[in-house]
Order: sequence, then structure tokens, then C-alpha cells
Amino acid sequence: MADTLLLNGIVIIVGNYGSGKTEVAVNLAVDQHSKGKQVRLADLDLVNPYFRTREARHALTALGIEVVLPAEGWLQADLPILVPQVAGIIRRPGDLAILDAGGDGVGARVLAALGEAFRDTPEAPQVLQVVNPFRPNTDTVERCQAMRGAIEAASRLKVTGWVGNPHLMDETAPAHIQQGHDLMRALAAASGLPLVFMAVADGMRPAVAADAMACPILTIRRQMVPPWRRPTPLPGVSISK
Amino acid sequence: MSKVLMKGNEAIAEAAIRAGCLNYFAYPITPQSEVAEYLSWRLPEVNGVFLQGESEVAVGYMIFGAAGAGVRVFTTSSSPGISLMSEAISYLCGAQLPAVFVNIMRGGPGLGGILPSQADYFQATKGIGHGDCRLLVMAPASVQEAVEMVMTAFPLAEKYRNPVMILGDGLIGQMMEPVSFPDQLKTEPSNKDDWASNGMDHRKRDKRNLVRSLFLDPEQLNNNNLALRAKYERMKQEEVRFEAYNTQGDYSVLMVSYGTMSRVCKTAADMLKAEGIEVGLIRPQTLFPYPEMAVREAARKSSCRAVLSIEMSMGQMVEDVERSVQGARPVQWYGKCGGDVPTPEEIIDLVKRTLSPM
Repeated sequence: MADTLLLNGIVIIVGNYGSGKTEVAVNLAVDQHSKGKQVRLADLDLVNPYFRTREARHALTALGIEVVLPAEGWLQADLPILVPQVAGIIRRPGDLAILDAGGDGVGARVLAALGEAFRDTPEAPQVLQVVNPFRPNTDTVERCQAMRGAIEAASRLKVTGWVGNPHLMDETAPAHIQQGHDLMRALAAASGLPLVFMAVADGMRPAVAADAMACPILTIRRQMVPPWRRPTPLPGVSISK
Repeated sequence: MSKVLMKGNEAIAEAAIRAGCLNYFAYPITPQSEVAEYLSWRLPEVNGVFLQGESEVAVGYMIFGAAGAGVRVFTTSSSPGISLMSEAISYLCGAQLPAVFVNIMRGGPGLGGILPSQADYFQATKGIGHGDCRLLVMAPASVQEAVEMVMTAFPLAEKYRNPVMILGDGLIGQMMEPVSFPDQLKTEPSNKDDWASNGMDHRKRDKRNLVRSLFLDPEQLNNNNLALRAKYERMKQEEVRFEAYNTQGDYSVLMVSYGTMSRVCKTAADMLKAEGIEVGLIRPQTLFPYPEMAVREAARKSSCRAVLSIEMSMGQMVEDVERSVQGARPVQWYGKCGGDVPTPEEIIDLVKRTLSPM
């Protein structure tokens, strides 16, 4: 039952360090934009020095997705810069505003600083926790729940759903995705929170049947790549970096 | 063991534990702070010691103290932090103590920037501290190789009773790749009875061990330096490691590159091959000792017309490449050092420009 994935309002992407939040946030923005929504994406990652949303800013801007970032001259500053436009986006999210938070509780703490803005927002935000079970510390239901507790305590927000992102980069096999899906279903059952979607790399999509999952599937076209790799082209974008 | 997806910094931290190193003293600095973050919760799980020092200078001497007591110990830092530790590294060399230092390099000089760099090559291989001191220096190009090198570094440090450095650029620390870990090794150096200053109670011999780098008598100091030199010469005989890529057949240009920069060069070599241009690559895995013979022989291949030293510095390793090639072929440097890693396209242009006037 691969339903169409449609999200509205404010969607906050949280998760443990290295769970794939940024890749999910960027691809979610592209996916929802392709379905006719006006999408804005804010990079709230104040803790990670490399591989952030800002790396994909040119491709996203080319598509017409507004990317909210510190000014160009401060992009590589080793400083926690939170631009004031973020509070404005939270108050007036438009069709869809995606906030890409930093990793773990530490990275989610920035959300607590925005608490006042969240109180003024028309609809409660959806807080989606990304899980890659092949990362240390989120390989079991218990550990994912513990991470959720840390993120909720630091952000002063409640996680409202799960996103499964099981992969081992280039070494991902269909069995890994199946294993990840099983863990996500167990996690959804144990937590009482829905599995909102599964993220699957474009190269693996042919190996995953459309009806194999109990939720919609978001195709991931990898944008956060090391310098010897090219980002996977995004539909409708001629420049990729 | 099945694979997990880890950041280089996390994998380096876990590898040290798997190597039996349960003592870590450090001071955080971007882009390697994840090592400290990881070990701050992981070391207590295995009854290890995590201690954040008040500065890198203090950390250097915590390392000295622990190494002198004969336990496995390591630290991680990034460029400016390593500069602060360099005095203690010289003392460790002088006192012949084993320890492992990891430098996840950022841009310099001074505070520089937080993006990847390889500009501490001279510091690591030729000028780590005052006096005639040397480090055995290994340079990983992947997260898995960083794990293997960390695990190798401890026994090597003990074999030579000398500090070993893992020299990685910022990308090695920050990027994520699938890794697996081999089984745990031994916890303590095997030969420490001869030198560790850890009390007389359980020692087999009556000799008192004194940890020191002070030798006021000129003959004693000269002898100590001769002993150190003999170790460094032995490293040159026994520890050289490198990878040769696309060097079996003929090639018109030889690239020499290490760390993540070498992976850009490999991509460029593959793309050039598709265009019918053959380019070889020597990737030093040890920077000291340097794979001089490998570079020399690869450069002297009759089809090879030029040698390129490609590095994220303003021309450091190129001096070792020139020294190795000994004038047999023209040697040219190419590099960047602001944090933007040269792209495969830049390397392809460079190779074509190198070949065009010939």
C-alpha cells in the first residue's frame, strides 16, 4: 500500500547523529515540490561542520525551493548561527516548511530556543525522527526510543512519527532495507507513533516492490557526497552542485 | 562482524577501544570533536578513562604520564591542537615512549578554517617537535582504513617505543562509510617490563626504570640520538606502505596523492581511462617512512612523461616526491588549501595541460 506521501505545515526532521536527516530533508523538499507544493527548507544544523543542507543549496534553489541559511559569508563559520527568518517561517509556514535540525539531543536543542515561535504557529508541527538501524546506537527498538527521549527532552517537542532510512551507503542490499523496515514496524508498534515513510535510495528502488512496505516510500537521490562523487541528479535540475 | 555505518571520527574512537586502548585524554576541536564525544560515553562502558584536559599542552603531558606508566594511551586533535602538543611529542620521542596521536587536519596556518586540509604534512613528517624526533605517520583514505591503521598504530608504537601519528584530513573524520571491526587485541604493551615506570612489585627484574628525555652528559645524549636514529632507519626498512593504482600497464602521467585527495585522483584516473588517457597513481599509506622506491620506480617507467604531486597543501609532499624521483622526470605540484577539495574535473584538466605542451 504505497500511498502518496503528502505533508503540510511544519515538518521538523530530527534523529540521531548521522541518521540521514539532511538527505531526507533535502529529498523530501524536492519530492513535495514536485507535487506542486510551495516548499521552504531551513538548515538548523548548528552542530555538524560538514555535509549539511547548505551543500545542496544551489540545486534546491534552481528548483524554486527556498533554502533558509546563514548569509553566504558565514556558511563555514564554526559558530551556531540561527537566522531570524526561521521564526518567521514557523509562524507562517505556507504550504510546507521543512526544518532540518542537528543530530542527537544536542542538535535538537536549537528547537527549544524556537519554542515561542512554535506556540504562535497555526498548526502543531510534525516532528519526524529519522532512524538508520545500521548506525551505532539506533539498532534496536529500545535504543531508538532512548534517542527519542533525549531529543524530546532537549527540543521540548514531542516526536510525532518515524522515518525509516536503512542503508549502508554503496553497500546497501535489499535485505538491509527489509531488515530496516521490520525494525521500523516494531518501533511504530512499541511507540504507538506512525511510520510516516521509508527512505530508499534511487538505485535500490527497483529491488523494493511498491507494495512491500506499510507506508509511502521517499526516493533518495544522494546529495551529500564526498568530492570524488557526483550528487545524483535531481529531476528538473540541470546543475547538481 | 556485520557492518555499521560510521563517521570516521566515531570509527577511529571505536577502533582504539578494539585495539585495547582504554585511556584517552583530549581537548575538543573541529573537525575531530566527535572522537571525544563518542569516547565520553563509550569509554565508561568498558571501564576506560576519558579525561578532557584543560588544554592540548596539558593533554600532551597526560599522554606522557600514562605512556610512561606502560598503558596504551591515545589522543586526537586537529592542526592547531597538534601544534600545542608538539612539545610533549618531542619529550615522548626523547624518552622513547609509545603513544598514538590522531590529527584530523583543518586549514591553516593559524586558526585557518574548519574544512579539510593536508597542510600539516611537513609538521607530521619532518618537524613535529624540537630535536631529532620523528613520528611513524600513516595516512588513511577511507573510514575502514582509518580503523585498520588505528589498530595497527598501537603495536607499532610499542614495537618502536615511539609515538605514531594517524594523519587524516577533515573529510576522513567527517564522512560516513560502512565499516567492520576486527576482534579485540591485547590491552597492554608486551615489552613494557624493560621501560615502564609502574612500580617494582610485579617486575621480573631488579632494574629500576626511569622515564626521561634529559641527558646532560654529551656522550649519553649522542647515544640516545643514535638509538633514535637507528629506530627511524629501521622504520624505513620495515614499515613502508603504499597502494599502486593503474600502474600495471603503460601510463603517460604518474600522480602521487594520499588521503581523501587520492580518491579524487582515482576517480579522475578512471574518467581519463575512458577517454583513452592512462594515468598511474601511487598512494603513500605511510608518509614517514615515505615510499621513495615505489615513487621512483613508477616515475621511471618509460611511458611516464611527468609526475604530479596532488595534495591539499601549498606544496609539501612534492618535496618528498622530488627527492624520490631524483630528477628522472619533471615533477609538478598541484593543490588547494582553503577547504574546497579539488574535483576530478580539475585533476583531468591538470593531466591534459601537463601532456599538451610535450
